[in-house]
Formats: sequence, structure tokens, C-alpha cells
Amino acid sequence: MVIKDKPSTSVPLPTLERFRQVNYAFPKTEQILEHQRQGGKVFGWLCTYVPEEIMHAAGILPVRVTGYSQEMELEDGNAYMYINNCSFSRSCLQMGLRGEYQFLDGMVAGSTCDGARRLFDLWQYYIKTPFAHMLTIPRKFTEKAHDLYYQQVVQFQEHLEEFLGQQIADEQLRHSIEVFNRARALLRQLYELRKADAPPISGAETMEVLNASFRMPKELFNQWLEKLLAELGRTGNRHQGRARLMVVGSVMNNPEFVKSIEAQGGLMVADELCTSTRYWSDPVVLEEGQSPVAAISRRYLNNFPCARMVPSDERFNRILNLVKDFKVDGVISQIIRYCVPYAHDLPLLRDRLKEVGVPVLALDVEYGTSGSGQIQTRVQAFLEMLEARKR
Amino acid sequence: MTASEARSSRISAIIRACRIITRMSQANPDAPKSDVLYYKMLSDYYTRLLNAHDEGKFIAAHTVFFPSEILYAMDIVPMHTETTTWMMALFLGGQAEILSAGAELGLVPEICSPHRGLAGAFSLGVLPRPDAMLWSNLICDNTAKSGELVMELNKCPGFFLDHPFQRSEAEDKYLVSELEDMIHFLEEKSGRMMDWDKLSDIVARMDYQTELFREIGELRKAVPSPFPNRGFLQLLTVDYLCPGQPEAIAYLETLRDELAEMVRQGKGAVSPERFRLMTLFVPPMYLMGLMEKLGHEYGVVSVVEPLFTRWAESRLDPSKPLESVARKAAMIPERRSMYGPLGQEALQDLIDCAEQYKVDGAVYWAFMGCRHTCATVKLFKDVLNEVDVPVLTIDCDIVDPTINSEEEIRGKLEQFFELLEDR
Repeated sequence: MVIKDKPSTSVPLPTLERFRQVNYAFPKTEQILEHQRQGGKVFGWLCTYVPEEIMHAAGILPVRVTGYSQEMELEDGNAYMYINNCSFSRSCLQMGLRGEYQFLDGMVAGSTCDGARRLFDLWQYYIKTPFAHMLTIPRKFTEKAHDLYYQQVVQFQEHLEEFLGQQIADEQLRHSIEVFNRARALLRQLYELRKADAPPISGAETMEVLNASFRMPKELFNQWLEKLLAELGRTGNRHQGRARLMVVGSVMNNPEFVKSIEAQGGLMVADELCTSTRYWSDPVVLEEGQSPVAAISRRYLNNFPCARMVPSDERFNRILNLVKDFKVDGVISQIIRYCVPYAHDLPLLRDRLKEVGVPVLALDVEYGTSGSGQIQTRVQAFLEMLEARKR
Repeated sequence: MTASEARSSRISAIIRACRIITRMSQANPDAPKSDVLYYKMLSDYYTRLLNAHDEGKFIAAHTVFFPSEILYAMDIVPMHTETTTWMMALFLGGQAEILSAGAELGLVPEICSPHRGLAGAFSLGVLPRPDAMLWSNLICDNTAKSGELVMELNKCPGFFLDHPFQRSEAEDKYLVSELEDMIHFLEEKSGRMMDWDKLSDIVARMDYQTELFREIGELRKAVPSPFPNRGFLQLLTVDYLCPGQPEAIAYLETLRDELAEMVRQGKGAVSPERFRLMTLFVPPMYLMGLMEKLGHEYGVVSVVEPLFTRWAESRLDPSKPLESVARKAAMIPERRSMYGPLGQEALQDLIDCAEQYKVDGAVYWAFMGCRHTCATVKLFKDVLNEVDVPVLTIDCDIVDPTINSEEEIRGKLEQFFELLEDR
């Protein structure tokens, strides 16, 4: 079958290749190993509600715990966590059980969802790390919820200080805020490019950058992303497609999934995933005279919400804004099986998108899927339907 | 059938079933009096729900482990959503219809079946329309996410009660403030004011109720154990539906006295008692009869259910009713083993249960819709194996009988009993 408007053949982007190498080597990347060689500690974190700046300010390299980048047999994950937990948490646990994260000095999680909190529980029992901390994450955006979350972040900081035997100064926190905000601003620049009719970067390529963003030192990430943005400014690469798509849903780390959609002519211009916009979206806003911890905690609870938060319309409205800003023709909902928060949201989100005339393709997937087989067939049919609507 | 009749049909059928069982129990001189009180409590609960709108009352639907003490104190009629789905499964069958309706709404099979069934039941219009939906994250993502769709289906307002995951002074205060906000919401929506004296009375009874639960738990340690397998569901339901209510107290006091008398006489729920089981999670509702039957056939009795019937040691203070309602949330057995951080304390409690109740084996009902409990299957098995307690795991669904057949489950249980015999 001939695919019209296939994405143009890309001119190599050297810095993108470096990001790919980080992802390929993860979790035992050169940067992580180097950080430890120099005596630095490396902490794993789960979920976007864990404030990385606190760890960074203490000189710790925070890396996001993710699972295998491909769909894998999860014998150990199934045995230890049962098959009805999402394949993301089972995949992470299996990597942990098999020693892939042996280098971690600490594990930090939030009470974000059933899978994450049980993954943390089992990690403590079967894998263990010298430091472990769980933050209670409120599910509301009220001032009382902010107060509680602020206290949780303060407790986390105090626990960390006790573990390290050193204080984390406000100055260090301010510096970390700057570093992380720089990453967020650069990612926003990258996403601005995707608003173009023919963006210079594809959705799959963007996912390589996103994956690297939580797997390497932020300072280095910022340097590389600045270079990549410069390269993208110079390149003649222009990606076009049969329809502009946005992917929403739970966690995703395999760029092959997006690549398989783009290979069929879908142009992925936006995303709303645990590992994409919901990770980097909002900056920490440090008001005059405000304590850095207060600013950090406010940002993390107010950030682009996960489906766990109530009311869900906060998330839906942000998705609708992205649909408008990125001129999205259709939305692909990819929900990892047994990821219940997103599964519950789907009927309501579908209604909201229907009201603005945007169709939804709902895919139940396993974490790490490359989007082959039946998924390809369904994507093909979805793209044909979107094209027919344009005519 | 009118829309109003359709809405009441399932509830009417539950009431009819309960009344028939009540009459049968009354007519049977050997039936425990507690059974009569239990089924009367059920039929009264659903009768209040059925008649609520005709009597000008406000109905609040709420998820499991919700502090319905507050609703009773405000003279609001509660509708326990998960239990109502269970009761439909237990008494009426016909789960397929409501689960299909849930699927048509777009709810995938991975979502807990009581929640899919509930949404389906509302979309079919076979339950009374609630005037408000109340839900919380105690006990899982399914409860946390089930409220908004129910609100949309019923075009009613709702309130989400945010339960902090861990316990600290700040988290306890947050929960109390959430309860205050919820009371304001209910006062505004229902026009009914909180009766604080009434809430204090309920808390006082709730405090006594938790004592009764503990006393019953102690009596079940006896060899032979006096408590029948089918009683497990009753112990859950009494707190789910009528916490701190006089009918709950009457039932539990009667049950306690009956069990105490059996212990005094050296009588067991099954005779002879051969195997003492620990039950982890809940057997399928539609197989409660099978569990009772197998118990008698094989001399098997469930003596402890650490996830559901083992209340934490703490007291409630009627002079601080709201703080007490918040404290109760931390005392419920499910909070410690299913929801909260699974620390060493919870695991030690499992071992203590096995030892104190002289358990021969454990059965883990791996309900496929309950992810966070299933995530502990291996962990609990490892912990119990350390004290030489074998664990049988059975995949199941608590309301959907299509997941596995009665014969298949019977076969697995029989094999397990043979293994216990060999030991």
C-alpha cells in the first residue's frame, strides 16, 4: 500500500544520536557510572510527583526508574507482582530483581497509583536500597492539599539530610530550580517546533529526547538539548503526514511505538503522557521572598495533572488546549492494560473530545509495545477515517 | 415498566430475597438469631433506600470504606455502591447484563468488576438515582476514579474525599479538614444540617462496635472455631452498611453471645474441625454457598481474614466525633494491609494471625480486578511459608462467574485440602 505524505528522509542529527545512545545504554549509562565514580549518589524515582530538585540540590543524580524499552516476557515481574498489575510496574520490578538497578543508592516514590505504591513496597522487600522514601501525594489542588504536600516535601528533605548527614541549603535549591527550569524551557522550545505544519522533528525523535531527559544529569541534558535545537534550526528535515496526531495516556518509553504510527503517515505533534508533557510541562515559579521548597512543592502538585487527580477536568482542559495549540486532528489514547486511572478517564475524555470534533482511537497496550500487528491495522483505519473527514 | 419502577426493580428484588431468608431463619429453630437480625438489617437498609425519594429524603451514593457515619448523623440515606453490586450478584445473579452495560460505556475489563457493574447498573437505570455521589481513594485507584462517571450518568453533584496515604499529625488533620468540607458540601446540597450530638452517639456506638469485632475475633481463636464460613461476608457488610447503628450493634452482640456459648460448649462451626484456614481477600460472592458446603464436607473453617476482619487496637472518642471518624479510617483492617504502606508491621501481623489462630493453610482469592492486593500474593506467600503455612492462590472475580467455574474452584480447594491432610 502506498502511504501518501510519508515523513521525509531525515538528515542525521548528531545530538539526537547521543540522546539515543543514552537511552540504549540505560540504566547503566556512561553518565550515571561517571557520577558514581566521582563519589556521587544515584537515586531512582517513580512518578512525576516526586520533586527531583530536592535530590539534585543534595548532589544526588535522580534518574527515573523505567522498565524495558521493548515488550518483554515478564516472568519475574508476573511472579512477584501478579499479572493484573500494569506491565510498566512489572517491567520495572523485573529489572530491579535482575540487578539492573543495583547501583541505586535510594528509591523515592509517591502514593500516586496502586501500581507505583506496590512497586515501592516490593522493591523495599525484595531489592532494597540504602535510602527509601514514600511521599503522600494528595489528589486535590486545594490550598489544604498544597499545605499537606509542602509538609511532605519538607519531610522528604529532612529525611534526605539525615541520610546524607548534611543540610540542603536554600541556595542549592535555587540553583536546582534554575537547572530544571532551563530543561523545561528548552523542552518547551522543542515542542514549539512541533506546532509547525511540517515540524523539523518527529514524534519518535522527540521521545528519544524525553527519555534521555530523566536518565542523565540535567546540566548535560540542557547542553545537549541546546545543541539539538541549533541543529534543528539548521536542518532541512520536514515531517509531514496524513493527519496530525496526539498521543495521550499512561507511561511510554518505546519510540518504536510512535515510529510505527508515523511510518503509516500519522504525524505525532503532541503528547500527554507520564513520560512527556506531564513530566516537564510547568516551571517552578519562585516568588520574591518565597522559600524554594514551597515553590517546588506548589509546582509539583499543580503541574499538568495525572489521571489520579480530582477533578479530572483539570487534565481534560489541558488536553483540549494542547489539541487546539498543536492543531490536532485525532487523539490516540494508549493505556497500558491495568492502568486503571487512565482507563476510568477514557469514557469522559472521549466525550470532551467529541464535543470539539476530535475522534479518539483507544489502544489497550502492554508497556514497551512497538505498536505492531493489530495496532497497525487499527491505526491505519483511524488515519483513513481522519483523512475522509478532511475531504 | 415505568422508569421509576425500573430504577427500583433490583433493590426490590434484594429486599424480597432478604425477607424470604429472614422468614426462613425465623421458622427454623436451629438457625442462629444473629442470622435473622442480619437479614433484617439488610432488608431495612435497602427498604430505606427504596423509599427514600418518596419520603423526601436525600440519597448519597458512596464507595467502600466511606465514613457513612456522617450520612447517618445528617439523616441522609446512604447507598453503598460496591456492596449494592455485590448484593445484586449474591441474590439476583444477572451480572452479565450490568457488566455489559459497563463495557458499553467504555469501561475496560481491567477495571474492578463491582465498579464496572455499578456504572452499568446506573446507565441501565436499575438503581435509585443518587442525589449526590461521594467517593474516596480509600481503598484503591478504582474507588478514587469511579465517582465522576457516576456523577455524569446521574447528573448529580459529587464530593471526593481525599484520604492521605500515610499517617502523621499533618495527614490526620488533612483528613479531618476533608471531612469538614464534605459536611459543608452535604449541608449545601441536601439542605440538612449536621447533628453533632447524633454523630457523637454514633461514634460511641462505633467504638463499642470495634470492641465487638475484636471480641468476635478472639472467640474465633477457639479450637474448634465457632464461626461459620458464610459469616465472613456478614462481618464485612455490617460495617459497610450500618456503622455505629443500633441494628449493627444488636447483630454483633447477638453473634458474640452465640459464639461465646458455642465456645463454652466446645462446639465448632464444622464438626469435626480438621483444617483451620486463613482467608486472604474475599471469596467470590456467588460461591459463598460452596464455601459453606465444602467446609462441612471437609471439616474446613476460615478462622481469620487479616485483610478484612482484624481491627487495629485503638479507641474512638465521642467528644471528638470528627477526629474519631478520621481515626476509624486508620483502624479498619483493609487500611493496614491493602491500602497503606506495606511495612514490616503488616507482615508481622500476618505471621501473628497464623500463629494465634493456629492456621493450617491459607487461601488467597486473587481477584483479578484488585491489583494492589494481588501484588502481595507472592509476598504474603513467602512470609507465611516462613512459618510453615502453605498458601493456595485462586484467580477469580468476586462478582463475575465467567472467569472460572465452580467445578474448577472446587477442584483446586479439594486438592489443597488433600495437601493439608498429607501434612
